[in-house]
Amino acid sequence: MRKMIAKRLGLMVVMLLGLAVITFTVANVAPGDPARLAAGPDASADMVEEIRVERGFDRPLPIRFGIYLGQLVQGDLGTSVYTGRPVLQDVAQFLPATVELVLFSIFIAILLGVPLGVLAAVFQNRVPDHAIRLLSVSGVALPMFWLGLMLQWYLALDLGWFPLGGRLGIFDDVPPKITGMITFDALLAGDPATAGAALWHMILPAAALSFPALAAIIRVNRAEMLEVLGRDYVTNARAQGIGPFRIIAVYSLKNAILPTLAMIGLRFGWMLGGTVLVEGVFDFPGIGLYAAKAAISSDFEPIMAVTLILGAAFMLTNLVIDLAYAALDPRVRNQI
Amino acid sequence: MAPLLDIRDLSLVFDTFDGTYHAIDKVSLQLKPGEALGLVGETGCGKSVLTRAAFGLVPVPPARITSGSVRLDGRELLGLSDRALRGIRGSEVAMIFQDPMTYLNPVFRVGTQLVDAIRAQSGGRIGKAEAKSIALDMLDKVHLPNPDRQFRAYPHELSGGMRQRVLIAMALAAKPKLLIADEPTTALDVTIQAQILDLMAELVEDLGLAMIMISHDLGVVAQVCSRVAVMYAGKIVEDAPIGRIFDAPAHPYTQGLLAALPHPFKPVDRLASIPGTLPDLLHPPAGCRFAGRCAQAHAACAAPVPLRAVGPQHRVACTLYEDAAPEGAAHV
Ligand SMILES: Nc1ncnc2c1ncn2[C@@H]1O[C@H](COP(=O)(O)OP(=O)(O)O)[C@@H](O)[C@H]1O
Ligand code: SF4
Ligand SMILES: [Mg+2]
Repeated sequence: MRKMIAKRLGLMVVMLLGLAVITFTVANVAPGDPARLAAGPDASADMVEEIRVERGFDRPLPIRFGIYLGQLVQGDLGTSVYTGRPVLQDVAQFLPATVELVLFSIFIAILLGVPLGVLAAVFQNRVPDHAIRLLSVSGVALPMFWLGLMLQWYLALDLGWFPLGGRLGIFDDVPPKITGMITFDALLAGDPATAGAALWHMILPAAALSFPALAAIIRVNRAEMLEVLGRDYVTNARAQGIGPFRIIAVYSLKNAILPTLAMIGLRFGWMLGGTVLVEGVFDFPGIGLYAAKAAISSDFEPIMAVTLILGAAFMLTNLVIDLAYAALDPRVRNQI
Repeated sequence: MAPLLDIRDLSLVFDTFDGTYHAIDKVSLQLKPGEALGLVGETGCGKSVLTRAAFGLVPVPPARITSGSVRLDGRELLGLSDRALRGIRGSEVAMIFQDPMTYLNPVFRVGTQLVDAIRAQSGGRIGKAEAKSIALDMLDKVHLPNPDRQFRAYPHELSGGMRQRVLIAMALAAKPKLLIADEPTTALDVTIQAQILDLMAELVEDLGLAMIMISHDLGVVAQVCSRVAVMYAGKIVEDAPIGRIFDAPAHPYTQGLLAALPHPFKPVDRLASIPGTLPDLLHPPAGCRFAGRCAQAHAACAAPVPLRAVGPQHRVACTLYEDAAPEGAAHV
């Protein structure tokens, strides 16, 4: 087990390196002059050239990549032209918000998706199944940002039930920063009202972010449950007189949840990407919004940093999913 | 003696996309306490569906029971609530199945599954600790080496034979009156097969169980059963003591079944060598379902053919024996 984790972490470094090469290349062959950008709109041609030499933009790509890696290894993510601050500082500010939002979203998607999938399977082709299927089909069909806009329009703007955006209202106290995740920080500071307010602000963006994942989880879990409920060991459990609740919620679900886990991992990764859109709609100051702004202004080093961070998060998620898999399935546990 | 299990005129259909599939047609079958009956027939003839439907184990829908009655110890089972049936399954009627590889849940320990089953069989009256001691006791009874260790093992850590022993232990823990063994040795290799059959014969004897042993292997049936019912396309076509089946088979299907075997102790599967095709059970014929493959088929076979007594404890459904008294008139 420990060996497997070490191996996977090693592999992760290699994959991140690959990701860095690709992003670095793409960002540099894309149109736009980084020296011009760094110098600012009012700079003269001479000043642009000066900056080009000073920042090394005139050197061959492989060398620049080497220099970039050297910085990276020392924990230097570079500087954002747009915010004028070290990227590391930006990340430390914006990433926790996104992590909080995405965790909340995946939590909702799992908490609703798994039971709804089970329910749909148990009531296959009856009213609950049809209703749940409608929900999961719309989750696949509706684009995330459109859903976000609609939610914002009706529930926030029109009905005023939810805030329009942001992480907290202007009258809420920002808790002292510990994790950077306001809900947790507020709870740690003994301020449940602020934690509630933070959750309240996350409900609409989380709804938009989690809806497609919810749909996917329902779909996979329903299909898996249907399959498992037809398996021989379920027949045997029934033949022993074991009750339906235990058969469904324990005997079957523990088997059906395994493939669902893989879907959850995949969707978690997609959610991280989805934050770029959803944070934009809800003006939620997270890493997605930061990345979007960096991309629009061709702000090279933040783009690199965010890409690598999201890549690493995706890979870590997969590792966690595999470990969960092993924890649930003794056959997998034996192999690693 | 009053029958322990009394199935009368049981008919079951499956509602499929193609239409109504008449899987079981007016089957009647009685079993006395302590009796061991073999149920034989080609794969797909309805052996599993018949025995499972009797105890509410065939999913409804797609299945639908259209007629009949199933009595266990005089008590009608059809129409009982799911909860009442659950009380009967496990405690009064136990089942073991064909493939021990797939009938244990792969993600729970053997012991957990045994304890759960034993507690369910008792209707929750037995606590965890007591269930565990019963489980270990049963693992010992089925001659599983090292019960303590197997108790903690996961199914994939056991061989097929060991798993079947676990399933037998599970089935018999509550000391049921009736055991349905649905091809319990088909998936095992020959030496293990013999060991499991020995074990079953031993336990049936010890516990005074009645048993229905489903098999497509007459040899298996001959080892543990005193009586055989032959099924064809959802109907019972012959029912007789094992000796009569081998010495004087009456139904042309049973005869073909024996003739097709170079040796009587070979699987019935070879039966596929009887020419002709199975009837289409979406549109079953009104008369004998074997007519399409029967060399002796004649005009009378197009009308319904009831089971008739042709000898002591010997019933057959075939027009060749029309002069025999219909069932009910005769003393069986
Ligand atoms: N759930 C089901 N839906 C439709 N048909 C079924 C279903 N289960 C069994 N059958 C049909 O019923 C017939 C009898 O099956 P079964 O009792 O399993 O045969 P066997 O004698 O081999 O045990 C088969 O033709 C099978 O196709
Ligand atoms: S009833 Fe007719 S068709 Fe059927 S087995 Fe007898 S002789 Fe053959
Ligand atoms: Mg079968």
